[in-house]
Amino acid sequence: MKANNTLMRADRSASLLWRRHICDKLATGLSWLGMLIVVFMLGSILWTLFKNGLAGMSVHLFTMSMAAPGQPGGLANAIVGSLIQTGLAILIGAPAGLMTGIYLAEYGTTSRMARIVRFVSDMLLSAPSILIGLFIYMMLVVPFGHFSGLSGAVALAILAMPIVVRTTEDMLRLVPVAMREAGIALGAPKWRVILFICVRAVRAGIMTGVLLAVARVAGETAPLLFTSLGNSEWSLDLGRPMASLPVAIYQYAGSAYQDWMQQAWTGALLVTLGVLIINIVVRVGTRGGRS
Amino acid sequence: MSIEVPVKTAGMTQPDSAAAPKEAPHPVAMQVKGLNFYYGTSHALHDISLDFPERSVTGMIGPSGCGKSTLLRVLNRMYDLYPGQRATGEVIFDKQNILNSGVDLNVLRSRIGMVFQKPTPFPMSIYDNIAFGIRLHERVSRSEMDGRVEDALRRVALWPEVQDRLSASATALSGGQQQRLCIARTIAVRPEVILLDEPTSALDPVSTARIEELLDELKTEFTIAIVTHNMQQAARCADQVAFFYMGRLIEVDSTARMFTTPREQQTQDYITGRFG
Repeated sequence: MKANNTLMRADRSASLLWRRHICDKLATGLSWLGMLIVVFMLGSILWTLFKNGLAGMSVHLFTMSMAAPGQPGGLANAIVGSLIQTGLAILIGAPAGLMTGIYLAEYGTTSRMARIVRFVSDMLLSAPSILIGLFIYMMLVVPFGHFSGLSGAVALAILAMPIVVRTTEDMLRLVPVAMREAGIALGAPKWRVILFICVRAVRAGIMTGVLLAVARVAGETAPLLFTSLGNSEWSLDLGRPMASLPVAIYQYAGSAYQDWMQQAWTGALLVTLGVLIINIVVRVGTRGGRS
Repeated sequence: MSIEVPVKTAGMTQPDSAAAPKEAPHPVAMQVKGLNFYYGTSHALHDISLDFPERSVTGMIGPSGCGKSTLLRVLNRMYDLYPGQRATGEVIFDKQNILNSGVDLNVLRSRIGMVFQKPTPFPMSIYDNIAFGIRLHERVSRSEMDGRVEDALRRVALWPEVQDRLSASATALSGGQQQRLCIARTIAVRPEVILLDEPTSALDPVSTARIEELLDELKTEFTIAIVTHNMQQAARCADQVAFFYMGRLIEVDSTARMFTTPREQQTQDYITGRFG
């Protein structure tokens, strides 16, 4: 504080200056502390995953289906099942979410209908995922009499959709009015301005939303327990129970067998790495799209 | 339904405004008659009557909030985007009152283009920025499109600067280049009228000078209406100047007379910098 004191005027309060200085240091310190706690927790999770999961990495993991304890087995059916169900969920949920987001931002805006849709979408965003699972169980499992991969994908799609809705609407609201008007002034119909100018302008942001949705549903277990159930055998049939990594992890981690527990760790590592890789790919891929 | 206007009124001067320049060498491209405009309940334009002669530049000046931009946004029905904004009166273009509800706005806006205050490049390549507007209204072959894009860029003198990077993003251009791109985009659609809303207020002096030069060339082919805060710009670019104040058209005359011997005291005060 010496440097300040040399500039200090006699009519200014030195204690006020000190208090400010201390508040500044305190706030900076607290935000550093918060950051360190978060980074420590993340690092600790990753460390544990790598430490316990890496040991189980082998070719078998990717080539063999799940097997009984003590038998040679892998997670191939769960990996493929997860890819199919997550992929299908995004294929259903992302376009529906995108269109709902467009409706909310561009057409409905403040209308009664839009307010209701927005409210429901936000409710879905925070709804416990097990409820979504139960809902799809009633809708798609009970009437057909059996569990299926398709019903799992639909449950995940319902979880993915509100995330895409929210990001699409938020992103579209950032598009400057002048950009819309410039499109309209060329004689472009509204839908063309929205699709080819507005959505394009924020495509990086919308892709981030879709990615968040992928990351969210890729690790979901609860909604799949009542829908795709899990399957220890290799199956690509969407009409039959289908394996998935989170359900396999849930099943294996709760078991008493060493080799299953090992595979649960490795499966968890795979899910984490998968989400990490998608994140990086999308970040690199959309870098050019930001203006 | 659009109203057919008898041909004889098209060339008539407005008795109440005493507006059109006396030696008007050009027929009228667009004619505003008894226009009133409302933002909700706020009455923004009062009984405006103004002729826009073909292939010449009409400058619109006046202090902020005087209604000049509002008038510009009536001329391509831009106000239609916003509920609560409405206009009464007539704007005659190609023998029709474009304020009528039956007018196809997309066609209208392809014939009456607009350039905005801030450059608004679309988030796509330089080439696609130009092609976007053309594709809206015409079916052209790939080679013809290349020609149209090049032609539009040449006319705004942007071609030498961008010919090697047509596929680069338009947002990477400088502000002045972006604004010339926006003008190129507008003329590529081949409109008859171009509306410019303070097109140089966000640009540096060099870019401004280039755009002003450009206006001089464009007026050989297009009817131009330009809103400007810059009196020197109006004096340099416009053939006739209209002075607006508090939602009213105070005076309109040839640029020379407007800046030397205005008839109204308010005009005199404004152009000599006594207010506004």
